[in-house]
Amino acid sequence: MTNRASSPDLNLDRHTRTSAFSVRQTRKIRDLFTSTLSHGLIIFVGMFFAIPFLWMLLTAFKSDRDVFHTPPRWLPHDNVRVDINGEEYPLYNVKTSDGVKQYAALKIESGVAFFVDPADPDVVIPTELQQGTERVAQAIEEVSFRWQNFPDAMNRGSRPGVGASFWVYFRNSLVIAFFTIVGTLVSNTPVAYAFARLKFPGRDVLFVIILATMMLPFQVTMIPIYLLFNDTLGWGDTFLPLIIPTFFANAWDVFLLRQFFKTIPEEMCDAARVDGASEWQIFTQIVLPLSTPVLATVTVFTFLWAWNDFTGPLLFLNSPRNFTMALGLQDFQGQNTIIWNQLMAAATVFTLPIIVAFFFAQKTFIQGIKLTGSKE
Amino acid sequence: MENLPERNLVGFKPPPKTVWTKRTKADFRTGMLFLSPWLIGFFAFTLYPMLISLYYSFTIYHSKRSPEWVWFQNYTDLMTDDKFWISLNNTLYMVAIAVPLGLFASFICALLLNLKVRGQAFYRVVYFLPSIVPTVAGTILFLWLLNPQVGLVNTVLEKIGIDGPNWMADPNWSKPALILLGMWGMGGTIIIYLSGLQDVPQSLIEAAELDGANWFQRLWHITIPMVSPITLFNLITGMIGMFQYFAQAYVVGGGDSLGRPLNSTLFYSVYLYQNAFLFLKMGYASAMAWILFIIILLLTLLLLKVSDRFTHYSG
Repeated sequence: MTNRASSPDLNLDRHTRTSAFSVRQTRKIRDLFTSTLSHGLIIFVGMFFAIPFLWMLLTAFKSDRDVFHTPPRWLPHDNVRVDINGEEYPLYNVKTSDGVKQYAALKIESGVAFFVDPADPDVVIPTELQQGTERVAQAIEEVSFRWQNFPDAMNRGSRPGVGASFWVYFRNSLVIAFFTIVGTLVSNTPVAYAFARLKFPGRDVLFVIILATMMLPFQVTMIPIYLLFNDTLGWGDTFLPLIIPTFFANAWDVFLLRQFFKTIPEEMCDAARVDGASEWQIFTQIVLPLSTPVLATVTVFTFLWAWNDFTGPLLFLNSPRNFTMALGLQDFQGQNTIIWNQLMAAATVFTLPIIVAFFFAQKTFIQGIKLTGSKE
Repeated sequence: MENLPERNLVGFKPPPKTVWTKRTKADFRTGMLFLSPWLIGFFAFTLYPMLISLYYSFTIYHSKRSPEWVWFQNYTDLMTDDKFWISLNNTLYMVAIAVPLGLFASFICALLLNLKVRGQAFYRVVYFLPSIVPTVAGTILFLWLLNPQVGLVNTVLEKIGIDGPNWMADPNWSKPALILLGMWGMGGTIIIYLSGLQDVPQSLIEAAELDGANWFQRLWHITIPMVSPITLFNLITGMIGMFQYFAQAYVVGGGDSLGRPLNSTLFYSVYLYQNAFLFLKMGYASAMAWILFIIILLLTLLLLKVSDRFTHYSG
């Protein structure tokens, strides 16, 4: 009974299901195609961003010789070494009259290598490395990350005799970044609060002026500021010219903070006002505690900016003892022979704190950038 | 009155006449107190240096000697200074090529990062990461990548049968090399674009889809007009930044041979720096700074005016 009654329905259902199935299938195939294409494109373009970055990291782990290996290869390689009488020597594949043997090289001098058989280290076999066009010995290599590049790069005094190493540059950068963050937070927040919440004559004119200063190129004020700090105040070769101006607010941070302060409900502040709170109390006890996301953003941005700044330290810092990472790295590069692996290790160390800051503040960071970009 | 623009960039209206009651006086005092960090900073680090710099630009001023007023001599000297024109030319090259190219590329990247695919968060980090690599480190990295003999880029080019250029050692290729470096670090612009793309109302796109508009038509008629304010913002900030392009060029020059090779990386700011701090011609450099300011000002105003016709503001 039920079967019979439902059979036409069932047929109909089966019919529609088949067509729905085929539609779904084509759709599935199309979706798979679009998704593969999208992934493919994103990865293809992404390689442009990823590869240089990876190349920096991998170069930082390469041995001196491996850096110049032709053709360049991705993973860092180093000679396999064997222990002979308590010392390590690189292992080579050496062509001898009885076939290829694995020998360790004691030393290599003007085309002649002094090999020993690790099994019989007392017999030294002098061998010419090049016989005609044929190379006799081939270094045996294995993938090996040379961590030693990092301490080498950090301890390297880029100017001998001054006692300044990358540790010193690193510390200087940290000190400057710290005080810059303090100055930026302390000075920009009250200014932004005034522009966001206070009503007083002249406010709008002043706001236009502060926005207009964004357009003023640094070069216009650079020379008088340099002369003021360097000659008049005698602050040359100290951190003061880099730190002090950050205690006097800047248009970008004021704008960013003001946009955020405007989103805090006015009613809360009004309630406090009715209770007799002063503007300063409202600002420090209501508005600031509610503003941690934007304060975090400003902190990260300021750190990024201070850590990265090149022109400021270049103008004001002269002696390597006072250099920042940015200047120290440049000093490294300016020498006649460039030790690329150590340089890349130093560049990695320079980048690392930024990456760490980025991972900690990733969300706020990207939202912070969004905030600057989007309309109110 | 009719030809006054209706919409102003920052919504500035002339302030109404204020009656200075006791209340407004107190408000004013509080306001000034809160503003005092910026007010002091503005006078000390902006207004005063601006005026002094303008004064210096009319003087011959060799750092240690006191300035000597010479009217427009610095400005007229600049007009016949070959290196001034070379540096201006180099800078305009970057403004005209690197800025639009960067905008176009970052828009494309933002479109890619806005696709709904799995793992998008990871991809966004990958695209963004290079932009937080410090400028000096990034520049040195590119010197290494673009090394003509052992660099990765030319090795790869060789593999596919292209004889790679000498990059930083060739005056014709040094600027393209710097453009490449700039594009590597454009994550910030990409993210600003991405936020703009996410603000485009989905309903609008769906409506167009129902009307039979294809992907390209939707892009052309909806997405691009909707993000045009962001394009304008990126264009103006990119242009202002490019006029002040300095650190990368300084690092490429290795500090002591600025502008190498053959002045091809002698950018405006580099030559200005050279005049001010290496040749100690402070007056001359100040004149250059003011010319820079005026160029930036005029181009910004021009862009704002022209953009009125192309920029779409919702609401």
